[in-house]
Amino acid sequence: MSRLLLALFAAAFLAAAPASAQNVVGTPANPAPVPPRALELEMQQMLTGGRIAGRVTIPDERAANLIQPAGQSWRDFHNTTLTWVGGIAILGVLAVLALFYMTRGRIPIEGGPSGRTIERFNLLDRSVHWMTASTFVILALSGLNLTFGRFLILPLIGPEAFATLSLWGKIAHNFLAFPFTLGIVLMFLLWAKDNIPNGRDIAWFKAGGGLIGKGAHPPPAGRFNGGQKMVFWLTVLGGAAVAVSGYILVFPFAFTDIAGQQLAHMVHGLLSVLMIAAIMAHIYIGSIGMEGAFDAMGSGQVDLNWAKEHHALWVEQEMARGRVSAPPAGAAAAGD
Amino acid sequence: MLIKRSDRIAAKARLASVYQGLSSGGLDRRAFLRNAGLGATGLAALGAMPLTVARQAEAGPVNHAAPVQRIKNICTHCSVGCTVIAEVQNGVWVGQEPAWESPINRGTHCAKGASVRELVHGDRRLRYPMKLAGGRWQRISWETALNEIADRMMAVRAASGPESVYFLGSAKFSNEGAYLFRKLAAFWGTNSVDHQARICHSTTVAGVANTWGYGAQTNSYNDIRNAKTVLFIGSNAAEAHPVSLQHILSGKEKNRANVIVADPRFTRTAAHATDYIRFRPGTDIPLTWGILWHIFENGWEDREFIRQRVFGMDEIRAEVAKWNPAEVERVTGVPGAQLREVARKFATEKPATLVWCMGATQKTVGTANVRAFSVLLLATGNVGGPGNGANIFRGHCNVQGATDFGLDVANLPAYYGIDETAWRHWSRVWGVSYESMVARFESPQFMTMPGIPSTRYFDAATAEVNPQTGLAQRDRLKAMIVFGHGGNTITRMPEAVRGLEALDLLVVADPHPTTFAVLHNRRENTYLLPICTQFECSGSRTASNRSVQWGSKIVEPIFESKSDYYAIYQLAGALDRAAERRNMPIRFQADMFKNFEIVNGEPTPESILREINRGAIASGYSGISPERLKAHMANQQHFDLTTLRAGPDAPPEVRGDYYGLPWPCWGKPEWRHPGTHILYNTALHVKEGGGTFRARFGVERNGVSLLADGSASRGSELTTGYPEFTMEVMRRLGWDQELTPAEREVIERIGGNVSWATDLSMGIIRVTMEHGVMAYGNAKARAVAWNLPDPVPVHREPIYTPRTDLVAQYPTLPDRRAFRLPHLGVSVQQRAIERNIARDYPIILSSGRLVEYEGGGEETRSNKWLAELQQDMFIEINPADAAARNIRDGAWVLVQGPEMPRDKWVRVKALVTERVGRGVAWMPFHFAGWFMQEDQRRKYPQGTDPIVLGESVNAVTTYGYDPVTFMQETKVTLCQIRAA
Amino acid sequence: MARMMFLCDAERCIECNACVTACKNEHEVPWGINRRRVVTINDGKPGERSISMACMHCTDAPCAAVCPTSCFYTTADAVVLHDKDTCIGCGYCFYACPFGAPQYPRVGNFGGRGKMDKCTYCAGGPQQDNTAAEYAQYGSNRLAEGKLPLCAEMCSTKALLAGDGQIIAQIYRERVQQRGYGSGAWGWRTAYRLEVQS
Repeated sequence: MSRLLLALFAAAFLAAAPASAQNVVGTPANPAPVPPRALELEMQQMLTGGRIAGRVTIPDERAANLIQPAGQSWRDFHNTTLTWVGGIAILGVLAVLALFYMTRGRIPIEGGPSGRTIERFNLLDRSVHWMTASTFVILALSGLNLTFGRFLILPLIGPEAFATLSLWGKIAHNFLAFPFTLGIVLMFLLWAKDNIPNGRDIAWFKAGGGLIGKGAHPPPAGRFNGGQKMVFWLTVLGGAAVAVSGYILVFPFAFTDIAGQQLAHMVHGLLSVLMIAAIMAHIYIGSIGMEGAFDAMGSGQVDLNWAKEHHALWVEQEMARGRVSAPPAGAAAAGD
Repeated sequence: MLIKRSDRIAAKARLASVYQGLSSGGLDRRAFLRNAGLGATGLAALGAMPLTVARQAEAGPVNHAAPVQRIKNICTHCSVGCTVIAEVQNGVWVGQEPAWESPINRGTHCAKGASVRELVHGDRRLRYPMKLAGGRWQRISWETALNEIADRMMAVRAASGPESVYFLGSAKFSNEGAYLFRKLAAFWGTNSVDHQARICHSTTVAGVANTWGYGAQTNSYNDIRNAKTVLFIGSNAAEAHPVSLQHILSGKEKNRANVIVADPRFTRTAAHATDYIRFRPGTDIPLTWGILWHIFENGWEDREFIRQRVFGMDEIRAEVAKWNPAEVERVTGVPGAQLREVARKFATEKPATLVWCMGATQKTVGTANVRAFSVLLLATGNVGGPGNGANIFRGHCNVQGATDFGLDVANLPAYYGIDETAWRHWSRVWGVSYESMVARFESPQFMTMPGIPSTRYFDAATAEVNPQTGLAQRDRLKAMIVFGHGGNTITRMPEAVRGLEALDLLVVADPHPTTFAVLHNRRENTYLLPICTQFECSGSRTASNRSVQWGSKIVEPIFESKSDYYAIYQLAGALDRAAERRNMPIRFQADMFKNFEIVNGEPTPESILREINRGAIASGYSGISPERLKAHMANQQHFDLTTLRAGPDAPPEVRGDYYGLPWPCWGKPEWRHPGTHILYNTALHVKEGGGTFRARFGVERNGVSLLADGSASRGSELTTGYPEFTMEVMRRLGWDQELTPAEREVIERIGGNVSWATDLSMGIIRVTMEHGVMAYGNAKARAVAWNLPDPVPVHREPIYTPRTDLVAQYPTLPDRRAFRLPHLGVSVQQRAIERNIARDYPIILSSGRLVEYEGGGEETRSNKWLAELQQDMFIEINPADAAARNIRDGAWVLVQGPEMPRDKWVRVKALVTERVGRGVAWMPFHFAGWFMQEDQRRKYPQGTDPIVLGESVNAVTTYGYDPVTFMQETKVTLCQIRAA
Repeated sequence: MARMMFLCDAERCIECNACVTACKNEHEVPWGINRRRVVTINDGKPGERSISMACMHCTDAPCAAVCPTSCFYTTADAVVLHDKDTCIGCGYCFYACPFGAPQYPRVGNFGGRGKMDKCTYCAGGPQQDNTAAEYAQYGSNRLAEGKLPLCAEMCSTKALLAGDGQIIAQIYRERVQQRGYGSGAWGWRTAYRLEVQS
């Protein structure tokens, strides 16, 4: 149908007529009239990424944009790029983790639990982590819903229920952005000093974190090893970028114009799916992926053996300060 | 509905926040219902006004299950006269549909017309009569209000005489309302009665009437479809008369016509022109003579037309010869040679029409401008035929009708003037004795003395009484009765404040409080009467092209508002009672309304129009009966788009008529004169709407005949010029024998040498028409109007001009007296030069219209659909001037005029644009409610403040009046601008 | 079935804003929501043109493509409508729309948008035609009554044309042939992928 129309109009408008020219006389002289032409302007703006804009009497500046071809690029980003990048990143990480679990299984504490624990994260640390984590999960799910929900959930629950879900998701997304941001800030303040990269991290990465290959041994690390530092900085920096771009979206047009809004959305969307993928690995390794790891954010007390295995330098420091709990009666002797 | 429309907004809140809180969010239904509840309770609690008695029309969607009534009325905004079709259900105006059948608008509207439904929902209308008591608005009843007003008026009359009361009427009256108001002033005994025509086209009326007979648009909007060249000077029709552009652009496309816009500002109209000429404001005459110079130089003038139908063109040639291209460029800034192309098109690509508006008329040389334009049309033979003529686009919806019915300080209805003959004629029509009318006046002398024009009312309220140096009447102005007129459209507002504060009585009768209610600091004796709009009553209105259209009442007047008819009738009754109480012999109601049918306490418009039909013979309103007008409205679809004529297939009651019976529609309604689509058109028989130039100024001047030479209307038995018809002329031709006995009896009863215009039998018109002759005569148009201050228009620099170097050569008029007041010219101009005003105020300030608002803007700024589109008063500044002053587009700026106090500025938004040239700034004139940075919102009665307020341009404008009509100068003054 | 389109003839449009207030009047659109607007390009300069713009009811509408809740649908007349009951006010359609058509009432917290509102081509919404419920959410449904959008019907200079694409294109083409100039159909390439030469 539209092709037929296209052919019809192409024929109908082939006879090209110039836009009306105008003679202009008087003072001060005006520039020679160059009448605008719709088609050419539209083509040109589409190619250059500009907009056809003018003057409107209403105070809404957005209304002054007559045609913004960038919407098409944004649409392509949203419907194609983001969907594919997000899909591949998330499914890819899932696949890798599944493969990893299948090949490596749950990584045990070398030498088994010692029975002695050491406080890895205090209550404040853990509260901040879980505040950030829980809001992140909801933000991630409600965010993913905006991109994937219509394919995955809408067919299952129908439009009304899906709209309700999405609306609550949107409200939750808007409000939970604030505690999430707070969490990011606090995490930075609490842990940044222990996450400053150093030479040992290179060694850690060279050794694959001791995770790759059966029987590999993690290189010695401080409070945080290279992998954790990576997660930390990913969370802090990525989170900050996601937050900033998110606030631009939550307060639409308060800080920027349509191009800025589109850019903010692109940054927000892309970083978010990448963060989600990364955090999925973090969740894996912090829970089912590794014995003893969850305790760090669970009770805050980790098994000394686990700690020695992964954070030998930190354990040394802590022990020097006498912060290791007394061994319970009848516990096995510690590793070495 | 997406929004609850009864939202009454707290007066003092800022606009944006107000609307954010209330009117958004109503988009889903539950939210809407919730908001509606909030709106009704929360806001009612804010207002102290009891809502129980007030009747407000609830808006709502059309209920498709119930029947819908379609009622036709006419848009109450501009003079184009667009038909509005209202859908009414249960007395509520629920929808507006395109009026496809109207030949004028063919279904279309502009922003204002498309939003008129909002007017009768009246969120911000005045709800009931109010008065100021101790500086606070107090609700009162109609009876109390009218009694107190009448009492005060009588007190003024007793103390100062009738001339101390001023009747300011309205171009938004119906014809019947305007006529009634003029009659009220006559019965009160004063000629100080005026309306908006004073400040829009009074100079046009004076200029063209003094040229060829009638002060009106010669052709029509529709007829411009025939033009091959359209020249706009000082008209921005695209914003002021948007629907007219439908005809103009269609004609432009169909004929590949030249559309030439000459304007200091690159307007929306200029954007659609083929040629645009930017010239310095205030140099219209040099521009016109500059065009004419090329026409004479190249022999493009229409010599035969000039020979037959124009008097005095040689004197014009002498003046035009001075305006060679070099001098034109020196004065106007337009390279003179470039006008050659304009001249060639206008003179040779005919028919050519000239459109002008307030850019030409609102000048100290307004009448002379109009005269120069008329001469340009005459020299090129562009008058009196399809596609040519003086297409003067008038302003308000009925400014033509209100002018026709004598809301003018020097006229009785239908341009009879105010001499004894005129008074005797109208006394006969009214069925009262001439002597009884004389007795109502201060003295017989005041009866024939023009009143005080509306542009000077405040001077009359404050000037000292002195026939030589001050006000020439017994006492100052003490009372103002204002019906439907804004206060911010008149220049020199600071003086207006003083004038209003000096009054003993101020009455504002209007749907809205208007600036008159808030501009001053009065505390007592100030009354507001809620008047309904023309949508809430019936009556006829005359569009710019002289077509008269009947509007039918759509809904009952809302709240306690009443029609003009009611207010005037009841005021007359109250005046009777007040006179009785004071033992004064004068009475009003019985005599004034004796010919009218009174229904529900008000005269019916039909009965008023019938009296008009009997008396308004001279302007040909006699054939325009209510029945014919209603038939036209019912059969609009039968009228041709271009000729406006109903074809042979039309129903018999309108067949052959021109749409709206454009006046003159001669004789009695039953004669079925079709009306006159094009004035002075000799190609048609007088019975078919043909005509000649009117013989108004005698038969000869200095030995030269003023009568047409070898030209007459089609089928005329007299084939050359002839004077206007009186019984003596009739007798000389032997045509008096053809009068019927009944006609003869009426003429004899009138007595004396009865003229066609005072012949109440209309026998003279009937007989002359039978002979194919125009009763008003067949004369030459006057290129030279010897009775005007400048018989041949000459350039005069504006009083406040940046070109002080030209003042010596082209000074403004010397100081003089007119209309009972001094009229200063040269003394003000000289003082400005001495004080070096042009150095301190280097930017020319001009003003004009916006499409969204109308006039003073009170009504349209209260209409939320319009107000949203223009939320701030602004000033257009050229980018170069803005850059020199560090002014950003959209920023606040301060503007000061040379007559403002040195420490006062007005605060407006900057619109930096190339619409205006360097050294020129422009402001719209529709804003009010801020006065030199004082926000006057709190001074409105609660809930009646317009949504949008802003500074008035007329706080900045300066002294300057046209000598003939006291038209104010709004288009050229000086100002200084600085960043706020 | 007709393929409904809008075409604004910029040689005729004078920015009188009749289309804007006609729309407000017909649907009682609240302050701050502008289903239609007029944009003037090259303001104040020779070559100035005004163009009335609203939702163009695109072929392959970007709004519909990006809507997370799939609340858009296209009628048999090719009018792009949406269901406010499933709209969540996310604002994506505004980012994607080439014409800035979607409007959002400001509701509740910070920049929270309410449900999107836009030109319905005077064709209401998903409810039953011409019911109070439909009017409350979407305004009137003229198309169901056999009428065209009021903005175009009331356009002062008949610049804004609405109706079947073939018919209005034909009208425009005749105008261009008659007068010998035309700046083209603004937005048609973007909205309908039609190469409208003039």
